[in-house]
Amino acid sequence: MLTAGCDIGALTTKAAVIRDDVLLGCEVVPSRAKAVQSAADVMDRLLARMGLSYGQLDHCISTGYGRNLVTFANSNMSEISCHARGAHWLIPSVRTVIDGGGQDCKAIRVSEQGRLVDFRMNTKCAAGTGKALELMARSLGVDVSELGPLSLRSKDPVIMNKPCCILMQIEVKRLVFEGKDRADIAAGANDMVAREIMHLVRDVGQENDIAVTGGVANNAGLVRCLEGYLGVASVRFDVDPQLMGAIGAAVLAAERCRGAVADRSGNSVMQ
Amino acid sequence: MSAKAAIIDDNGLLAFEILPYTGYPQEAAAEVTKNALARAGVIRSGISRFLSTGFGGKAVPHSDGVVPDTVCLQRAVKKLNPHVKTVVNVGGHSFTVFHIEDTGGLGESAITDMCTAGMGMFLEVISAALEVPLGDIAGEASSSGKTPFIDNQCPVFAESEAISLINEGYDKRDVFAGVTSAVANKIAGLVRRLGVIEEVAMVGGVAKNRPVVAILEKNLGLRFADLGGVDPQVVAAYGAALLAREGCSLDSQRLSDSTADRFRRKGTL
Repeated sequence: MLTAGCDIGALTTKAAVIRDDVLLGCEVVPSRAKAVQSAADVMDRLLARMGLSYGQLDHCISTGYGRNLVTFANSNMSEISCHARGAHWLIPSVRTVIDGGGQDCKAIRVSEQGRLVDFRMNTKCAAGTGKALELMARSLGVDVSELGPLSLRSKDPVIMNKPCCILMQIEVKRLVFEGKDRADIAAGANDMVAREIMHLVRDVGQENDIAVTGGVANNAGLVRCLEGYLGVASVRFDVDPQLMGAIGAAVLAAERCRGAVADRSGNSVMQ
Repeated sequence: MSAKAAIIDDNGLLAFEILPYTGYPQEAAAEVTKNALARAGVIRSGISRFLSTGFGGKAVPHSDGVVPDTVCLQRAVKKLNPHVKTVVNVGGHSFTVFHIEDTGGLGESAITDMCTAGMGMFLEVISAALEVPLGDIAGEASSSGKTPFIDNQCPVFAESEAISLINEGYDKRDVFAGVTSAVANKIAGLVRRLGVIEEVAMVGGVAKNRPVVAILEKNLGLRFADLGGVDPQVVAAYGAALLAREGCSLDSQRLSDSTADRFRRKGTL
């Protein structure tokens, strides 16, 4: 059985293909203005690379922004379920997923079976999101991908106290002008974002093991800050943690197919 | 986002200067002071006492003391219009509302300093996203026909929302009018929460944004008090100058501490 998942994020769009419980391949592209285009882009590219065609897919689930508009998808699901499923599928001991996206952040509790139990999400404020990290990186004059490695070199992180990413940006600029070490500022920014994320984690309730997914998981400095507050190391994935939503969507697609087959044979397996 | 300087003598305001800046506050402070001195036609040694205030108040290198901006505003507003009981101060990244008691003292206050909603910065971010200078668009916002309602209070989310609206076919100016309403209504919310005691004065850079002021006045059902034609953006600097004239620099540290305590006790949001 061949299934696919497509996760349309605010900043990047991801796709994954799995065959019989094995991850075959994945792809990440920057999101375009129209969600549908981004989805077609990433899936075209992934299928072409793997030498597959849309016709060979048994089921495809789309998730993320504009997930209901993706024409090649057979169904769609919330990115929260997908992230939870993806992380749990790869590492079944995962009970809490911290998903840090471009403009949102979620703390998700997962059951032993990999089902969504509860979640908390930022709804009103961009503090604690990838966007905050992008703005900080811009103020520091580095690429957002450099923020993590840079912050790990810090010996004396600055302490920030304004969660608002616009106000934080002003603070970062001031610190740069004052001649503060860039590594210390980067570490301070990561710490502030981590503290914001921890509000959601504490609210939903922390249960180990913990997975950090989404684009912000690629910031090693931020992950280290989070682990400090969590008091435990997060699990490590072999794949890019940004892909968790797409992988989860593909896994759920496979389950949906099996459920449909089982339904026809008279058993109700759909969980 | 801008540095302001005011110079007064025994008779009143001699000169003032406003300097928008993006660099270090120290340089902006030195520059704006130099400009104001030139305008007043005096030299630095001719200034008997010099106080600084605001976000970068501590960074002003040539100051005789730092005073909290709320104290400066209260002092200035009391002088400019003694009937004012509520002061709404909205700048680029400042947003405070406070009462002046009948005795003239500082009353209840509310401050938002953790979030940009309602601040001038919010308008700046959206005007940059819509690629139209703030000056142009702010004036046109009030003439807009169909105004979309902007849900988001976070500039990052409002920026996405504004861009989506434009993709849906809304006109830039209509979208910006929606953003302007969002800012004005956010300000009105904080004013109401603290309590509207007339007369009400508005100061700070956003007080110069006519559409915001118009919506805010309509929302609150009042007209803002006249401040004798003094630029709303320099009211705090003027207040600092008044305090300097009164010789307040001697115990400015004590003043600053007690006001900070007061903020901590009262309406910190």
